Amino acid sequence: MSIEVKIPDIGDFKDIPIIEILVKEGDTIGAEDPIVSLESDKATMEVPSPSAGVIEKILVKVGDKVSEGSPVLLLKGEAEAKAPAAAPSAGAAPSADTAALMPKQEPDPAAPSAPPVPAAPASSAPDFSNVHASPAVRRLARELGVDLTTIKGTGEKGRITKEDVKGTLVRSAAPAASAGAVAPAGGMGIPEIPAVDFSKFGPTEVKPLARIKKISGPHLHRAWLNVPLVTHSDESDITDTDAYRKELDTAGKDKGYRVTLLSFLIKAAVSALRQHPEFNSSLNPEKDALILKKYYNIGVAVDTPDGLVVPVVKDADRKGIVEISQELGSLSKKARDGKLGSGDMQGATFTISSLGGIGGTGFTPLVNAPEVAILGVVRSKMAPVWNGSEFKPRLMLPLSVSYDHRVIDGALAARFTRHLAHVLEDVRRLVV
Amino acid sequence: MSNEVRLPDIGDFKNVPVIEVLVKAGDTIAVDDTIIVLESDKATMDVPSSVAGKVAEVKVQPGDKVTQGDLILVLEGAAAGTGQAKPEVAEKAAPAQTSAGGSPLAAGTGQAGYGSPATAGGTGASAAPAPKGAAPVSGEEMRAEVLVLGAGPGGYTAAFRAADLGKKVILVERWPSLGGVCLNVGCIPSKALLHAAKVIDESQAMASHGISFAAPQIDIDQLRSWKEGVVKRLTGGLGGLAKQRKVTVVTGTARFVSPHQIEVEHEGKKTIIGFDNAVIAAGSEPIKMPFIPHDDPRVIDSTGALELDGVPKRLLVIGGGIIGLEMATVYHALGSKVTIVELMDQIIPGADKDIVTPLFKRISKQYEAIHLKAKVTAVEALPEGLKVTFEGGSAPATDTFDKILVSVGRRPNGKLINAEAAGVAVDERGFIPVDKQMRTTAPHIFAIGDVVGQPMLAHKAVHEGKVAAEAAAGKNSFFDAKVIPSVAYTDPEVAWVGLSETEAKAKGIKVGKGVFPWAASGRSLSLGRDEGITKVLFDEESNRIVGCGIVGPSAGDLIAEAALAIEMGADAEDIGLTIHPHPTLSETVGMAAEAFEGTITDLYMPKKKAH
Repeated sequence: MSIEVKIPDIGDFKDIPIIEILVKEGDTIGAEDPIVSLESDKATMEVPSPSAGVIEKILVKVGDKVSEGSPVLLLKGEAEAKAPAAAPSAGAAPSADTAALMPKQEPDPAAPSAPPVPAAPASSAPDFSNVHASPAVRRLARELGVDLTTIKGTGEKGRITKEDVKGTLVRSAAPAASAGAVAPAGGMGIPEIPAVDFSKFGPTEVKPLARIKKISGPHLHRAWLNVPLVTHSDESDITDTDAYRKELDTAGKDKGYRVTLLSFLIKAAVSALRQHPEFNSSLNPEKDALILKKYYNIGVAVDTPDGLVVPVVKDADRKGIVEISQELGSLSKKARDGKLGSGDMQGATFTISSLGGIGGTGFTPLVNAPEVAILGVVRSKMAPVWNGSEFKPRLMLPLSVSYDHRVIDGALAARFTRHLAHVLEDVRRLVV
Repeated sequence: MSNEVRLPDIGDFKNVPVIEVLVKAGDTIAVDDTIIVLESDKATMDVPSSVAGKVAEVKVQPGDKVTQGDLILVLEGAAAGTGQAKPEVAEKAAPAQTSAGGSPLAAGTGQAGYGSPATAGGTGASAAPAPKGAAPVSGEEMRAEVLVLGAGPGGYTAAFRAADLGKKVILVERWPSLGGVCLNVGCIPSKALLHAAKVIDESQAMASHGISFAAPQIDIDQLRSWKEGVVKRLTGGLGGLAKQRKVTVVTGTARFVSPHQIEVEHEGKKTIIGFDNAVIAAGSEPIKMPFIPHDDPRVIDSTGALELDGVPKRLLVIGGGIIGLEMATVYHALGSKVTIVELMDQIIPGADKDIVTPLFKRISKQYEAIHLKAKVTAVEALPEGLKVTFEGGSAPATDTFDKILVSVGRRPNGKLINAEAAGVAVDERGFIPVDKQMRTTAPHIFAIGDVVGQPMLAHKAVHEGKVAAEAAAGKNSFFDAKVIPSVAYTDPEVAWVGLSETEAKAKGIKVGKGVFPWAASGRSLSLGRDEGITKVLFDEESNRIVGCGIVGPSAGDLIAEAALAIEMGADAEDIGLTIHPHPTLSETVGMAAEAFEGTITDLYMPKKKAH
């Protein structure tokens, strides 16, 4: 018996597109071997096979949307699969093509020079005799070379219309449009970057993009194209805050967690978001109203060997520095181990991208749409700061806030960033 | 192949548009001559030819996008640049063309762009493609872009359509007048005589309704000349249409001598005509039987019957199909005593029995005898008559008739045109196999009409002719009609289209039917007739109409609605909800659909479907 392999419980998801089929018909697979990859909003999931066997038939294709219980493939149990395959059907009538390849026997030796003639013309034209399309639609399909037997009619009672026929041409001209997660290549009238054969100029190697990059690419592209983005820069004197951080970090080390500046950044961000609720919002789809969020979930961009992921610290307004630090520790570990669940990466209202561990003097973070703002921080550095009478060495942290200008104006962004800097300068302001 | 010029390496470009084509078929080019100009992002590029030779065909046109390796030109001659054709190959491929002056150009199809590999391997064995264009080559007296063989309804339609699409067309016909069997000795003259028969029958039928006429005085010569007048008017009109379109009409009997040449013989004079594309519309002819003395003038076929050479006292019609029954109708009206002998268990074997029964009942009363499941085994020509020996059915052992009409079917003329010389396959029965574009095994030669298969009907040939002409002109035209209606112009007429009940049963297709008996049609009763039936068959699942059979006066005109409904994919509701004018016979189609739906009120029917 063949087993029908279905999509297992994949959490709170429905109609998730299949982005990759990892097996093909005839493959022998073991239990738990991944069979397809699904792509939810932010995560990809591999669906494992429930048992070992030989794949008899794959019932889905890339781009299909599946939910829990959707059939994926037919698996033939191992024992059965080892049985000899059915003998190829013998005595099948030669196909038209085969017949056409066999020149007609010339029975009359008196006329041996006549050109050999096949018995029947070879034709590969599809048969339209059973399609639900009027004669004019059939003619149009022939003119355009469209196979009506592969089209689903949108007309009354499933009738194929002229528009359906023309529609297939539009779709085939832009095959990218239907796949959903693909980059809007040329779809907005943007000319494609022409393909270049780089190997003409020197040796090259093609390395497929990591899965996360493949997924995040279109998302980032979408954000880049959709959000009119402005970056506002400021800096904050975190000399005192960092001293306090070190105290907490020393204390935490013994208990198995570290306290980084990121925890303070999260708390400061929440403070600034409370003060400026527009930053904690999204545009509604009609783009005529703001959806203000009454919760504070802060996404944190984390660099992993496979690429950038953004786990979310939920309800950051209700968590203290220590709790946030502990949560960050566990989220980062999960991220690096590739074990983040999709729930860990959903629901952010604001995002922080911290490159402080690496360096830099400033950058333009890209707003993680549909959020409307993002904070980018780089490495703090000791700088001489004029305090009115003298230069003092102070630890200065550059802040870059990128925002969606449709939602946030420059002045508001300046106030938001200043508030952020102000809070970071003296963490006692966090509790005010 | 060395006679192809492909796009060379043009650097890092793909799908570059062609902005200019500098050569045309027939040009002689040298190595490095510029053949096309491409336009990339910023530059235009001249593309040189890699070989020398004579251009047979240019495969690209301005606007096409090309990439390295795409076919640009086909040159003549495999040994490109040497200019040497291979006469021995050419002779091999075209043995029958001595009259063509041994032109080596005749061999090879030159249609490298399409066709089955077998065709390319067969006719293309000699690599010299035929010259393109309409200029005659040596040995040819004329040259056509599209040559149509046969001027019947299919042939003249193909010729006219091709001419309208800008092709130089030659139409070859063996008879002096255009129109083929249909116009000259088929559909049209028979309809003229059937009209006469109808007037005679109806005038007699009126006696029982209170109007009596004297017995008709039939002047057979005048009737014949009226019929001939009708034919002349139509065929003359065709001649005019051909002239207006500048279609050259050549009279004579044609046979292929090579894949691109035909020899036309007329009154002993032979003419070679070259062509790029040909459409074979050679038609069919009545089947002759070995045991029948066809030489005897008293044995006639449909053509002889339409000549109206007297009215026999006793006429035997062999074959109870459409043609035999129509002629029987005419001769019966003119006063002959008619006997019909049919091999099958019903007359008009293609139609459902219930649709044929009203006709059978009526003519059973009118005619002397109808013998089903019977056959003629011998005919002896005696001075006093034709002595016929029968076998089977209700037929007597022997009987003697004044005339015999043989109407047992028609045989395609595929074997009469030496199609093999052109690489066109003809099956053992004389049919020419074609694909949906009407292409034969030689892709540049098309065949249409009776010569490609059943049903042998003019309206099928006409549509096929258009497809062939359009395909020859480079259009993506296919024969995609779902159904071809058939009509017997008997009294009552019998017409059917699409699936018949018998066929559905044989194929295991589930159909539902709606039947409307004309006894409930006011219009039919007011015509003095009540035997008609309209039966419509529907797909059980989709309720879409799949077939229709109608018997009754004007059934042939009514069947067109069913044909349109099938092509449009109409279902029972669509037909039933279409308001048909009252009182007409066309109402019966709507009523039959309602009968299927169970919504009919003009009949009381046990409920079939809940509505």
